[in-house]
Amino acid sequence: MNKKAGPMFYVFLTLFVFLVMFPFLWVLASSIKPVAELFGDRAFIPFTNNMTGENYESVFVNYPFLKYLWNSLVVSTITTVYAVLVASFAAYAIARLNFKGKTVILGLVLSVSMFPQIATISPIYIVLKNLGLTNSYLGLIIPYTTFTLPLSIWLLVTFFRKIPFDLEEAAKMDGASPMQTYWRVILPLAIPGIFTTAILVFISAWNEFLFALTINTDDEFKTVPVGIAMFEGQFTIPWGEVTAATVIVTVPLVIMVLLFQRRIVSGLTSGAVKE
Amino acid sequence: MKPDLMPNNQKPIAAKTKQKAKKKRSDRSLGYMLIAPSMILILIIAIWPVFQSFYYSMFDLRLNNPAKSEAYVSYKVNLQTYLDNYPFLISSLEDELDEATGKTKSELEAIKTNLEKVDSELKADGELSSKYDEIDEKLTVMEPISEELAVSDLDKEVALDLEKAVTDSSEQLRELKSELKNPEDVIGLSSSLKDSVITPNFIGLKHYKENLTDSRMWKAIQNTTVFTVISVFAELVIGLAIALLINKAFFGRGLVRATILIPWAIPTAVSAFMWKYLYDGQNGIVAKAFAEIGLFDQMTDMLTTSTGAMFAVIFADVWKTTPYMALLLLAGLQTIPSSLYEAAAIDGASKWKQFLKITLPLLKSSILVALLFRTLDAFRVFDLIYVLTGGGPANSTETISILAYKVMFAQTNFGEGSALSVIVFVCVAIISMIYIKFLGRDLLNDR
Repeated sequence: MNKKAGPMFYVFLTLFVFLVMFPFLWVLASSIKPVAELFGDRAFIPFTNNMTGENYESVFVNYPFLKYLWNSLVVSTITTVYAVLVASFAAYAIARLNFKGKTVILGLVLSVSMFPQIATISPIYIVLKNLGLTNSYLGLIIPYTTFTLPLSIWLLVTFFRKIPFDLEEAAKMDGASPMQTYWRVILPLAIPGIFTTAILVFISAWNEFLFALTINTDDEFKTVPVGIAMFEGQFTIPWGEVTAATVIVTVPLVIMVLLFQRRIVSGLTSGAVKE
Repeated sequence: MKPDLMPNNQKPIAAKTKQKAKKKRSDRSLGYMLIAPSMILILIIAIWPVFQSFYYSMFDLRLNNPAKSEAYVSYKVNLQTYLDNYPFLISSLEDELDEATGKTKSELEAIKTNLEKVDSELKADGELSSKYDEIDEKLTVMEPISEELAVSDLDKEVALDLEKAVTDSSEQLRELKSELKNPEDVIGLSSSLKDSVITPNFIGLKHYKENLTDSRMWKAIQNTTVFTVISVFAELVIGLAIALLINKAFFGRGLVRATILIPWAIPTAVSAFMWKYLYDGQNGIVAKAFAEIGLFDQMTDMLTTSTGAMFAVIFADVWKTTPYMALLLLAGLQTIPSSLYEAAAIDGASKWKQFLKITLPLLKSSILVALLFRTLDAFRVFDLIYVLTGGGPANSTETISILAYKVMFAQTNFGEGSALSVIVFVCVAIISMIYIKFLGRDLLNDR
């Protein structure tokens, strides 16, 4: 379907993009208003004559927001590296080697990725509590395996399958061992797929909420989503800080999405579409 | 097999099959070796907890109650708690005896002998007796005592005797309250002593029975279903419309794609808080807009009435996940060869007919996969509602996951919460089985 796009199409498109982006634009506009203008008559006027950075300052001064960002970064990075590494072995085996029970294992991986988190939380919480791992980085990295590992395996299998089999055969003919074949032939070709998987796994770990909410309750170890969700003041919600924090979290995501949109889309659709 | 290859293959055929068999065997062992780490991790961290949840759901498990903080299948005694209270209770009773007269004195006397009798019963068990002395010693020098040492198995009869003795004494002391010199002391000690007896908290399927007759649980299931059906349906229709519209070459395609990815990429908890701001009864622009077009009578209705709140969470969910749906469907659309449409156009089929006869059937598996993932996601919704409405007002947006969370972590009733989470699990399993029946084995097929 390669129809040409008419002017009406662009009008519609602009409207659509505006609607999708509107909440962000409004929050961005609110975040640079002085607190007084967030309430009362001026609350519905998007522009202000008294632009201010006080909300942004307050986010870092009055809340341990930098700490939240750091915690999220540490937990998500370690989770991503280790989940993708472990998953890449399994995915290679499922995609490239012949052995019994492959389909069953892939089915198991897929069903585990559909497990509701709430169904695993009570034993995980009790075990981590007994091990003294609540309020620690490891306390989140371990349970994050429940959804990052199946996700990684699932995505990597589809990427590994796309690598031509002839190359592997050729390497074997030349006397390469399975390990050599993997490191020298498969892995370099799989790097883009692995990178895509890593982006998606990182985003899913960064956004996780339920485990982070229940396991790391200390400010020292809270992650960003939980940190922002707990931004409530004693009597009122500090909207100025909330909007500023939202902008701070969203901007890096926007940059990442702009840079990697092709990869993200290929990752999101790879498991779901038969080509 | 091409005939010209035959001569080449004929001679070493035996060697080749041998080689093939060998390759197969090495493939197999390598394969199992490579998947082993992932499988072990998945078994321990994802599958075991589900079974454990089911196990917990059959116990009266409460984290804030020391006698019920674990799943106990047999009678036990916590000697640490026991020895922290028993000697002091006896000496307090002796003090009281010095002062008491008449009937009170004889009753106190009876309580004391009763307690001393079960104490000697405890010490009659050889193993228990040595632990008894060890803990007693450690308590006097204030050394820490490990859980393993403190809690030991107890004969059912002794346990029942002990329980009866401490419960009775606590009751009798409460009755004598007005006659005593320091009633708080003895009553306090005797009721703490009760915590030392651990009775099995196995209750079988009682939690399920209670939950399945609880109106709050059914209301939560109903809310979850309403949320799932409406939001997934709206996402499918809008997502399909968007996918059809942008399935063409146009200027700025990458930018549009990036734009629609942003709502998907932002943490749900953060976007939920953002919507809370936009829906706010005093300064929320979206609430004002909806009130102005007559969707609500007043701005404040958005988060304070039950239909308003349900609409609010569904709207926020549709905003966040429609782009994802559109992307999945767009990828499906792009696999449909354009020659089909050209042929249909030549045959004079209308656009609508083309959509019904070509697009929908060929998009079926994409739609089903997208629906499967979205339905399961929507059914276990937690972050969005937890942050946006907290399940309120008056439980009108309380979904089953929110209810399970509240029971577990606000009421610290892990047994009942686990039962609820098993119910969520069973629902999710049923939903996926229905979808997979429609999808067939398509989902897992090699290439």
